[in-house]
Amino acid sequence: MAPPKKLNVPLNRVEGDLEIRVEIEDGMVTDAWCSGTMFRGFERILVGRGALDGLVITPRICGICGTCHLTAASRALDMIADVTPPPNATRVRNVALMSEHIQSDVRQTFLMFAPDLANPAYEGCDLYPEIRRRYEPFKGETVLEVIRETKKVPEVIAILGGQWPHSSYMVPGGVVSLPTNGDITSCQFIIERYRRWYEKRILGCSLDRWRRIRTAADLDAWLEERDEHRQSDLGLLIRFSRTVGLTKIGRGHANFVSYGALDTPDERQPAKPGSDGFFIPAGFVRGGVPHPFDQQRIAEHVAHSWFEDYDGGRHPAAGETTPYATGDEGRKYSWAKAPRFDGLPAETGPLAEKIVEGDPLFTDLLEQAGPNAFLRQLARAVRPVSLIPQIITWLSEIDVNEPFYATPGEIAAGEGYGLTQAARGALGHWVRIVDGRIAHYQIITPTAWHASPRDSAGIRGPIEEALIGTPVRDADNPIELGHVIRSFDPCLVCTVHTVGRGQLFGRSTLDV
Amino acid sequence: MRRIIGIGSRFVPRDAAGPKVCEQLLAGTLPDEIEVIDGGLGGIDLLRFMENTERVVFVDSVEGFAPPGQLVILTAGEIATAASGYGHEAGLPYLVRVLPEVCPPPCPEVLLVGVEGPPSDRLIHSAARLALRVALDDKPYGQKTRGCPA
Repeated sequence: MAPPKKLNVPLNRVEGDLEIRVEIEDGMVTDAWCSGTMFRGFERILVGRGALDGLVITPRICGICGTCHLTAASRALDMIADVTPPPNATRVRNVALMSEHIQSDVRQTFLMFAPDLANPAYEGCDLYPEIRRRYEPFKGETVLEVIRETKKVPEVIAILGGQWPHSSYMVPGGVVSLPTNGDITSCQFIIERYRRWYEKRILGCSLDRWRRIRTAADLDAWLEERDEHRQSDLGLLIRFSRTVGLTKIGRGHANFVSYGALDTPDERQPAKPGSDGFFIPAGFVRGGVPHPFDQQRIAEHVAHSWFEDYDGGRHPAAGETTPYATGDEGRKYSWAKAPRFDGLPAETGPLAEKIVEGDPLFTDLLEQAGPNAFLRQLARAVRPVSLIPQIITWLSEIDVNEPFYATPGEIAAGEGYGLTQAARGALGHWVRIVDGRIAHYQIITPTAWHASPRDSAGIRGPIEEALIGTPVRDADNPIELGHVIRSFDPCLVCTVHTVGRGQLFGRSTLDV
Repeated sequence: MRRIIGIGSRFVPRDAAGPKVCEQLLAGTLPDEIEVIDGGLGGIDLLRFMENTERVVFVDSVEGFAPPGQLVILTAGEIATAASGYGHEAGLPYLVRVLPEVCPPPCPEVLLVGVEGPPSDRLIHSAARLALRVALDDKPYGQKTRGCPA
C-alpha cells in the first residue's frame, strides 16, 4: 500500500492554536491527530497565590466565556468554605452564565459555522446563492445582523457584575453586586429584545412553537408548515446541511458527558426529577444508555501530551501540569491532556446536554442518524430556546430586598471543585487551599475534552474520532473537515492578539 | 468625543503595549473630549465603543511594520487587511473590517498607533503622546503606513 500523501493545507478559521493532521486514503480520512500547539499553564500561574485569586485570574482564560470560569472558580470556593449562596445570588450567577451562552451560541453558528457553507465547493447547489448572500464572511446579511444584534447581550453581565468580559463579581457565598430594580428592568429589556429578534430572524417562529417539535417527523412538518420556517436562518441551515450531507459526517465515539449547570435557586421552581437540582442535568450517556455522573470518575491522561509521564489517568485533584516537551516526540503531540470519564473519551456541549437531559427531539434524531456535524450545530443553534425564557424567569424572581451574599468566613484550608457547563460544554476547576494559599489548581475545559489527543490506551479523542471516515473531495479545499471540527466549537486561544503584516489569523496546518 | 482604546494583554509582555499606554494616559489629566478605554483582547465586543464618536485611536502591539523600538500609524484599511474570518481569536482586524457595515452612522474614523518591539517605558511614553496627538488633531491620515521614530 502506498504511504499516505502528505500536503500542507491551510484550514481557515480553525483556532490559531489547534492543528489537525489527517491521513487520507481513497478520498477518505483514515486517521487523525488533534494537537494543541500552545502551552498556557494557568494551573501553574495560580499555585502559591491567595485563595481568592482564581476569581480574578481564571475569567481571563477566555475572552468569550469568562463567566463560566468565574462560575467554576466560585463554586469550588463555595465548597471549600462550606457556604451556600442565597437564592438571589444563584439567580444572578445563572442569568449571567446563560446570557453568555445565548450570545455565543448564535455567534458561533452564524459567524463561524455557517460561513463555511458559503465555500465555493457548494457552488452547484440550488441554495448556494442564498447561502452566500447570508453567510459570506464580512458581508453576509445574517453575519452582519448577528454582529449588530448580539452586541447588547453581555450588557446584562456588565449591569449585574460591573464588567464584561473578565468579570470577578461572583465570590464564595454569592455575588458582590447589589442590583437595583432599575438594573433588573434594563436586563429584562435587553433579553426580551433579543428574544424577539431570535424568534423572528433565527427561528422564524415563537419559542413555544419550536418547543412543540418533539420528533424528527415533527421537524420535517415544521419545515413544511410555513414559508417563514423554511426561510428563517435555522430553516435554511437545516435544508442546506441535509443537501450537502452534514448529517452523514462527524460521528465520533457517541459518548456524551454533562457536568450539570444552573442550580435551582429555591422551591419556587423545583428542579426536574433526576436532575440533581440543576436546570441543565448532569450525566453520562454511552450507547444511548444514561449513567449517573460522578466527578470522581474523571481522569486525565498524558501519554500523548507534552507533560511529564505517569501511568494511566489521574483524577484532576491529583493531576499535575508539568510540561515536558523533549523526548518522545513521535508519541507526544499536544499541549492538551486527554480527559476521560470511566476511562472513555466523551463529547460535551449543547448536543451532550440535550442527550443527557433526554430531550425527545434530539434523542430521536440521534437514534435515526447517530451523532453528526449537523446535529451538534442544531443543538447549539436552538439552545437559546430553553435558556431565554429561564433568564426572564430568574430575572423576575430576583428580590432586591433579599440578600445576595452569605458570609463564608476565612478560607484557610480545604479542597473542593467547581463544575458547570460552559458555552462549549463541561468545565471543571479542582482546587486545594493550604494556609490560605492555592496549593493545587487543575482546570479541564470543554475543548480539552473535544480536542483531546490519544489516551494511555491509544484511544483517539472526540474530534480525532469524528474525523474518521470523512470524505474529502478536494485536498486543496478540505471543507468537510472544517464542518466536523467546527461542529465541536473548539476554543484554544484567547491570548495574544497582535496585528502583523501579512498575518493570517486562524491559519492551521492540515497534513493530508 | 474621541476615544483612545488600548488593546492587548498585560500578562503577556510583548502584547502589553495597549494596556500600558492606557495606564499612563489615565494617570495624567486628559482633555475633556478624550475618553481612554482599556479594550483588553476585545474584538467585535468593542463595537459599542465605536458609536457616538468622531475618531477612535487604537493602541496595540504590531509586528513587521517598522524596526523594533518605533511607532507606526496604521489606517483602517491597513488594519482590515489582517482579517481573514471570524473565530475565537478574531480581534481588532475583524472589527475594523466589518465596522462600516455594522456601526450605526456616522461611522468613526479609525486609526491605530502600533508599537513595534518590546514596550519599554520610553516607547510607552512616546506611544501615549502620539495617541493623544492623533486623537486630538484633525489631520487626515493617508493610506500609507508612516514610521514614527519614538
